[in-house]
Parts: sequence; C-alpha cells; structure tokens
Amino acid sequence: MRQPQFIRSNTFRWALAVSAVFAVFVIVLFGFIYWKIDDYLTARSDRVITVELDGIAGLSPERRLEAIDEKLRQDPRGVQVAAIFAADGHRITGNLESLPPHLRIDAPAHGTDVIRRDRGAGENQTVRAIARRMRNGDVLVLGRNVDEAGEISHVVGQALALGLLPGFCLCLLAGAWLSVRAQKRVEEVNQRVQRIIAGDLRERLPYRNVDEPFSKLAVIVNGMLDEMETMIHALAGVGNDIAHDLRTPLTRARLTLERGRTNAATLEQLQAVSDKAIAGIDQSLTIITALLRLAQIENSRRSAGFGDVALHEMLREVCDIYEPIAENKNIALQVAVKHRRSVRGDQDLLIEAVANLVDNAIKFTPEGGEVNIELLQEDSETIVRVTDTGCGISEQEREAVLRRFYRSDKIRSTPGVGLGLSLVAAIVKLHGFRLAIHSGGGGRVEIVCPDSQQG
Amino acid sequence: MALVSSKRTVSGGRSSSTANAFAAIEYQLMAKVLLIEDDSETAEEITAELSDRGFEVEWSANGIDGLDKARSLRPDAMIVDRLLPGMDGLTVIEALRKEQVRTPVLVLSALGAVDDRVRGLRMGGDDYLTKPFAVVELVARIEALLRRPAESRETTLRVGPLELDLIERTAKRGDRVIDLLPREFRLLEYMMQRSDQLLTRAMLLEEVWNYKFVPATNLVDVHMGRLRHKVDGPDETPMIHNVRGAGFILRAGP
Repeated sequence: MRQPQFIRSNTFRWALAVSAVFAVFVIVLFGFIYWKIDDYLTARSDRVITVELDGIAGLSPERRLEAIDEKLRQDPRGVQVAAIFAADGHRITGNLESLPPHLRIDAPAHGTDVIRRDRGAGENQTVRAIARRMRNGDVLVLGRNVDEAGEISHVVGQALALGLLPGFCLCLLAGAWLSVRAQKRVEEVNQRVQRIIAGDLRERLPYRNVDEPFSKLAVIVNGMLDEMETMIHALAGVGNDIAHDLRTPLTRARLTLERGRTNAATLEQLQAVSDKAIAGIDQSLTIITALLRLAQIENSRRSAGFGDVALHEMLREVCDIYEPIAENKNIALQVAVKHRRSVRGDQDLLIEAVANLVDNAIKFTPEGGEVNIELLQEDSETIVRVTDTGCGISEQEREAVLRRFYRSDKIRSTPGVGLGLSLVAAIVKLHGFRLAIHSGGGGRVEIVCPDSQQG
Repeated sequence: MALVSSKRTVSGGRSSSTANAFAAIEYQLMAKVLLIEDDSETAEEITAELSDRGFEVEWSANGIDGLDKARSLRPDAMIVDRLLPGMDGLTVIEALRKEQVRTPVLVLSALGAVDDRVRGLRMGGDDYLTKPFAVVELVARIEALLRRPAESRETTLRVGPLELDLIERTAKRGDRVIDLLPREFRLLEYMMQRSDQLLTRAMLLEEVWNYKFVPATNLVDVHMGRLRHKVDGPDETPMIHNVRGAGFILRAGP
C-alpha cells in the first residue's frame, strides 16, 4: 500500500525524529526522578529503623519483648518486621520465622530476604533490615518493607502516560500538518511555475508576509522573474530591430543584383552592380559582427586578462589617432590630463570604449566645433569625460541611446548602425564602472571608475 | 602580368590595380599553400582564388589528413580552419609546432571573439582571420606571412627614393626631408618593411594602431591620406597606392 504523501515528506520525518528524541528524553527524566525518590525513601526508612533499634536495644530484655509486640500491634499495614532471636538462633518473639541467613549482624541497615510468619507466611520478602547482638547474646532484628517502589513506578507511569503520550501525538500531528501545508504550497508554486514555463511571463509566486522564510524565497524568486521578464521583452525588441536593420541592406543588395542580372550589358556595369551588392552585404555583416561582439562582452565575466591600464596614456593615444579625423572636419580635438591614473581593466576593451565615445563626439559635432577628452580625479573616483559642442542628448533620450539600434531622429542622416553606445555601456558594466550621460546642449558622456576598482 | 586577366570577381579583386597589387608575388611563384578546411565550397573558392594568384594549393578536408599532408608536402604556408572533423585545427598546429615545424599558419575561424583570437595565436598560429572574410584579405595575409620581414639590424629602411632613419627618426625622399609626426612615422615604417605588399585596413589597424576592433570611422584612410600627402609630392611619382576595396600598397615603381 502506498504511504500517504505527508508521511514520506521530509518535514514529517523530522517531526517524527524530534518527537522520538523528545520521548526518550522524557523517559530518561522520569527514570531519574523514580531512582532519586526510591533512594530517598530507602535512606529515610533506614534512618528510622536504626533509631528504633537504638531505642529498643537500650531497654531491658523483658521490655524489649513488650516493645516489639507493641510495635507489631501498631502496624496495621504490616510493613514492619521485628524479632528477637536467641543466641542459638531460635526465635524468642517477633514476626520472623528465623534469623535471615544473609542478614549481617551489627552492620548498618541493608536489604535482605526474610521469611515472615504473619503476612504472606513462608514467602520470601525483601526488606531493609538491621540486626544487632544484645549484651545477653540475643539478636535484635528490625526491618521495614520498603517495597513502595511499585507505587512510585505506578505514579511515574501515570505521569508519563499523561504527559508523554499527548505530547508525542501533538508532535506527530504538528509534523503532519506542517508537511501537508508545505506540500500544498509547493504544489501551488509548481502550478504557477508550470504556467510560467508555458509562457505566461507575468505569473508570480504567492507569498504571505515577508518574515516567513518560504515567502522570503518567493519574493526573491519573484524579483528574479521581474528581471527576466524585462530582459526577455528587451530581447524580443532587439530581435525585431535586428531583423529590420539586417533586412534593409540585404533587400537593397538583392534588388541591385536582380536588376543587374537583367540590365547589365557590359562587364563594367556588372562589376558596379556587384560592388553595390557587396557593400550592402558588408553592412549586414558589420551589424552581425557588432551584435556578436556586444553579446560576447555582455556575457563575459571579468577575465583574468585584466591588468593595469594607464588611462592618461590611453587617452593621449586615442586623441592621437582621432586628431587627423577631427582636423579634417575642422574640429578642435583636445585632451586634458592633469593626473596620471591607472585602473584595472582590459586595455583593448577600454580603448574601444573611449574610441567609440570620441568617434561619436566627432561624428555628431558640426564643423568648427570642439571635442574635449578629460581625465578627472574626484573624491573617490576617476572620471574619463568626453564633451562636444554637438547637438547633445535630450533628457528623454538618455535611456534610449543605450538601447541597441537606437538612433536619434536628429542624426538619421549620419551613417552608423546605432550600436556604439550599447557597446560602450557593456564594456563599462563589465569593468564595474558607471556610464554617465548628461543631457542638455552639447554632448557630455563620462566613464566613472570608482576608486575601489583601482589596482 | 598574367594575373591581370583574373576573371574571378570576388570581393575586392576586381580592378586591374588589384591585380597589380599581387604582381609582386610573381618572384616567388608557385609558393605551396596547404589549405585545411572542411567546407568544400569555401575551400573551392579559396583554392581557385589562390591558384589564380599563382599559388600551388593543396586541399585537405579534415585535421588528420591535413596533419599528414603538412608533414609530407612541407608547404610554405598553411591556412587552417579552427573547427575541423577528426582533429581540431588548433591541435593540428600544436602538433606541428611540437615537431619544430615553423611553417607560417593563418587560422580561419567563425569564432571571432578576442579570446578565441588570442588562443589561436598562442597555440602557434601566426595570424587569425574571422569568417566571413573578403578573399583579398586572405590573400594579403597569406602573402604577408610568406614574406614576413626578417629580423634586421638595419637602422635605415630604403624603398626607391624613400629613406627612413630609425635612429634619428627622420625621413627623406631623395633630397627632400619629410617632416613626420610620430604616428605617421610608425605607419610609414610598417609600410616600408612590407613594401610591394598589399596591406589591408584590418592588418594596419591591428599592427600599427593595435586596434582589435573595426572603428566606425574610416580611420585608416584618413591617416593614410595625410601620410600620402607628405610622401608623394605634387610632381613626384606616387609611391603609396590605394587598392580599391582592399587596402594600400607602398612601392617604388608606378
């Protein structure tokens, strides 16, 4: 037969284990109490009979007989044992058949087997007893049946039954309840997750209050789902953009080739057509290359190839490379480096990022403008700032410029694929730096490197 | 100029000036190139193009056979695809290098990541070209590998009337002193070490500027324009030639 599911659950097993440990603990505790009480009662009765023995021993032999008889008369429960034996061992008085064989004379009170004459005559009975030889040779025996242990164990057993059984059952019930409850929640989560897998990205896990661990977990997972939903939507958007941006040059190439095939009459014409088609295909390839590169940078971890990059030298180098281009456009390109600063990073990637910013700045600055590259040292950060006198980036566009393929309407006519800033952002993020884009007239973009990143 | 009539209109190699660019290789005609590439169509294109350019091409479609051919044929240069059936391209190169075979190798790969490139070069590749590529780029690089400048102790480079003093950092064309900026000097030095060779934009970016990426702007053209302006005076024979759709070439003759 299949066990009910809650019995197989971990929670229930834990509850079972805990209640078993609890039961063992309680049993040991009660055992200890029983042992202690028994010990105490025995010691008390030993004291009593020793005192009585001392009292009776102090009497004259005749008075002793009376005292014994008196004592036995006053014992309705029949727990007392008292007797006097003559030196030869025969009984003078008392309720014992004979001198108990294992009873040590003149020893402190101890347990021994006796045979009584009155109650349960002829039967062996274990009592605590003490014996002393009198001056006339008689042996005085006093004892007390301490067989009250049975009563105590009875009480202890009752207490155990009263305390342990309900406790044990309660534990099991709680375990079962918790396990059923957990199972229910898991089932609930499972259903929601199944819906998410099926494509419902808006589904979230249920949670009650945040202090409970299960809910905490649900909140964390929900946060992850939020992030993933955003990413998946962004990705879908990118997919559309890619399709559009790739299709345009490819369509052009196709049209060119098709027309060339029918219309070109000479080799020169055919070559011109091929050139045009190749240019279109090259543009598509450029886009694919840029995208792959972007994906590669975004997905890479901080590589072991990181080293110290001297920013001051790097900026001068970038400026050196772009100077002729700026000059051609009559733009003043200047680099202002006051301090020597190094950061930890990938030299090639950082050059690419800065070169992209400078490239952009020159591209979007009208003739006669200015592009400045600065290396600044603030309280706890190093800043690479590229400013230009171009049209700048408006407040509304600040977020958008980082999107793949985003191209401002103002610059529709300038060639480019709209991946440059995405690439810069990815590189900056990989290094743990920050990209700050300032809005307003004139472009101003900063790569902010926190000092903790400095090697 | 048997190469001028090249009928293949592959990207780049389509004007007579391109053919001129490769005329220089005639002196080492029949250089043997081993191509290890599993895609037969790509291999066919490359083989045809290289044969047209005067190379003797051996083709091998997998790594194991390629390694055998590399050992037995002793080619002058090799083109090795990275992903091959049987044996990985890099493993082939590694095996050869262990046997002290120093044949220059151009690694071809669809994996264009910077890391892949570094790994390819570390394993013993001499150059790395990412697919898809223009055939003219491949030919230029193979030629560059075949004619790698020997380590020379020369302190003066000379090409025709052009003279570059590497110690004094000065340049002269005949008696005319050319005033060069440091970056222009670096570019001219690179070109003079490889005179009569076609240098593609990508090669120049990688070697002269150490750029591992292709910038949006036509950086190379701008720099080259400035250098040419200084090197080729108005009434002098041009020495720096622009090979349309391919790159640049420096040579003494017209």
